[in-house]
Amino acid sequence: MKTSRMLGLVMIAPAAIIILLFFLMPVILTAVFAMTNMSTATGISAGAYQVTQAAVNRLKTDMPELAAGISEPRFVIDEDGLTQLDALKLKPGFTAELRASHLGEVFLSRREAERMIKSLKERPSTREVKQISDVFNRSVMNTRFEDRAALMESLAKLGFKLSPQDEEKVSRATYTGWIWTADNFRTIANSQDMGQILLNTGFYVAVTLLLFNVGYALLLAVTTHYMPASTASVFRAIWLLPRITPVVIYVLMWKWLTWDNGFISLFMGLFGHPPKNYLLDSAGSAWFFVILINGFIGASMGMLVFSSAIKAIPQTHFYASEVDGANRWQQIRYIILPQLRWPILFVTCYQTLSLLASFNEILLSTRGGPGRSTEVWSLAAYHTALQNYTGNLEYGLGAAMALVLVVVGVILSLIYLRVFRYDTLVTKPLIED
Amino acid sequence: MRILLDKFCKSFGTTSVIEDMQLEVGSGEMLALLGPSGCGKSTTLFAICGIHRPTSGRILFGDRDVTNLPSQARNVGVVFQSYALYPHMTVEENIGFPLKVKRLATANIKQQVAEIAKLVQIDNLLGRRPGQLSGGQQQRVALARALIRRPDVLLLDEPLANLDAKLRLEMRSEIRRLQRETGITAILVTHDQVEAMSMCDRIAIMNKGEIVQIASPSDMYNDPRTAFVAGFLGNPPISFLKGRAEQGAFVLRDGGLKLPLPALSGIADGTELTLGVRPEHFGVAGGIPVEGRVTFAETQGRENLYDVVLPDGSVLRSIQPVRDDVKPGAQVRWMLDSSSTFVFAEDGRRL
Repeated sequence: MKTSRMLGLVMIAPAAIIILLFFLMPVILTAVFAMTNMSTATGISAGAYQVTQAAVNRLKTDMPELAAGISEPRFVIDEDGLTQLDALKLKPGFTAELRASHLGEVFLSRREAERMIKSLKERPSTREVKQISDVFNRSVMNTRFEDRAALMESLAKLGFKLSPQDEEKVSRATYTGWIWTADNFRTIANSQDMGQILLNTGFYVAVTLLLFNVGYALLLAVTTHYMPASTASVFRAIWLLPRITPVVIYVLMWKWLTWDNGFISLFMGLFGHPPKNYLLDSAGSAWFFVILINGFIGASMGMLVFSSAIKAIPQTHFYASEVDGANRWQQIRYIILPQLRWPILFVTCYQTLSLLASFNEILLSTRGGPGRSTEVWSLAAYHTALQNYTGNLEYGLGAAMALVLVVVGVILSLIYLRVFRYDTLVTKPLIED
Repeated sequence: MRILLDKFCKSFGTTSVIEDMQLEVGSGEMLALLGPSGCGKSTTLFAICGIHRPTSGRILFGDRDVTNLPSQARNVGVVFQSYALYPHMTVEENIGFPLKVKRLATANIKQQVAEIAKLVQIDNLLGRRPGQLSGGQQQRVALARALIRRPDVLLLDEPLANLDAKLRLEMRSEIRRLQRETGITAILVTHDQVEAMSMCDRIAIMNKGEIVQIASPSDMYNDPRTAFVAGFLGNPPISFLKGRAEQGAFVLRDGGLKLPLPALSGIADGTELTLGVRPEHFGVAGGIPVEGRVTFAETQGRENLYDVVLPDGSVLRSIQPVRDDVKPGAQVRWMLDSSSTFVFAEDGRRL
């Protein structure tokens, strides 16, 4: 008893490891990335502290004074500056006097600093005053600090006195690395763009599924059923071609058909229409071709499933219904379609999931254009995380979008499994342990 | 309604199944198409209901030529061997289907279904699906579906083949009862001679695409036209002895048995012949003694069946009232009723 159970675990171990590595890990990693704000800007390793204009802008709302202070240079009489001053070979008295009576002083503006310098005993000329003040010009703007302590030290040297809370705020605003955050999901929930993409996705999945993956597939299966066997197999083979053609080449052929000097333009030219890119001309025509491309590829699976399901109906049912007086349409309506209920449900479920996740045909044809009118969820996730025009790839947001897709897929699968009554399809193993 | 097949031919591709068949079924008659599998009886049935189109010849329902009409336009009822009930419909929907496709009003359909269901005694099962019915009940549903549109002809394709022995007996009389009550013309396709003989007014016995003989069951049993017909009818089957003609008598090959038969006058001596002896004509009563050894004995309750091997190796079957004095291996001398035997020429023709 025990050994057989052990043996079972050993036997399933390779499969379990593969499932863990290649099925579960991608989902888990997606979830992990989704909880960060990783992007090209943050990098994927730890970041540094940098007071950029963007960081100052972030601080402006909470701490306007500090923000204003940081963005302006200050003048600090420090050893670094004195060393630099020595190197300028001006009168040595300047250095000595500054070190003796002004070391550590902070001036909030160039005017104040220069007033002090002018009053030095050796009377620097106006040009010298400029030279001297320049070496003490100190700012944290656009300086990179490897850690938080260095940033705070610099700020303290510049005379900024910060409470621990303020320090926290400043460090958060100036940190350039990634952090853990749930902001991605807030962005998804609140963004107008995301709503539009969601609508696009729903439209794309529903229309492709209804018109092609189920509707057109049914039409093909039923019509080929009534054809002589050899003609029917020729037709089925033709409809399988889009599925077995490499998708890049298949989409390229559609592009040849639709672009400015493609077949459609040439043909319409005969009637005096100026050539145009029919694929990207308008949102409507883009959708038209996107759905055609996906539909012709997707219809073949439904056609095969439905054809074999129709084949499984005993021939005598067709004989009987003919004898009963049913015409062909009634035969389809009352005999074939009711017996295709499960295959239709299966194809609907399967194709919903694959349409939700696939974007390669859209990427290859319209790239989501014109504008973002044919952008669907999975393509948007790809664009956000892996390739976009601005160059700032938001891995975290993209992962969050992908995770939404995973969650939707899992929920749909669970619903479908219930609808299919999967538990009744699986028999208990005959071997008892 | 009278059904007429006139010079009916059917071939599939280059394979000719039926050639020049002539068959008439009288109005209200029940006819059996009887024959071994592959003899073309189902093909004939499918041609009558329009599933197959004849290659040539005519099919007439009454005076109406239906040769080129599709099934839908023929008004036939068919009970298929597998019943072909639609699994996704209830019994009520199955029976009502022929009316539904005619677009009759729902209430009207419901009423007619109720009537016909009562006739075939399944009015308590209307809500069930075919999968929830026994074989006999499915059979009745199929019958009701075939009958509900009051067809010109009822076609039954091996309707009892899938039933167990007891149910087969019951449905045999049931189908006959329905056919009589409705007065419908019916054609029964079967390979079971008991079914054909017990249910039908006439039997058309078929072999290799041809009708060998059409007659009433008793005529056919008592007056078979060929050795094939004699061999097909009767249970237990007839036994055949090989021999030749000699001075107006049948003589077994080794000369061990000599039967003077009036049918053999005028037949040249030495002509090869086959003698058919039904089991009931070999036993305790009869005129000519035959010796042999019992090799097989079987009791069927009321009667016993014996196989007797003659000295030349040929076998005679005998059926007798139960007796327990004869065991396999016993030498017996039983009597043969020569007047009830059939003599066939070498080509199977009855003399």
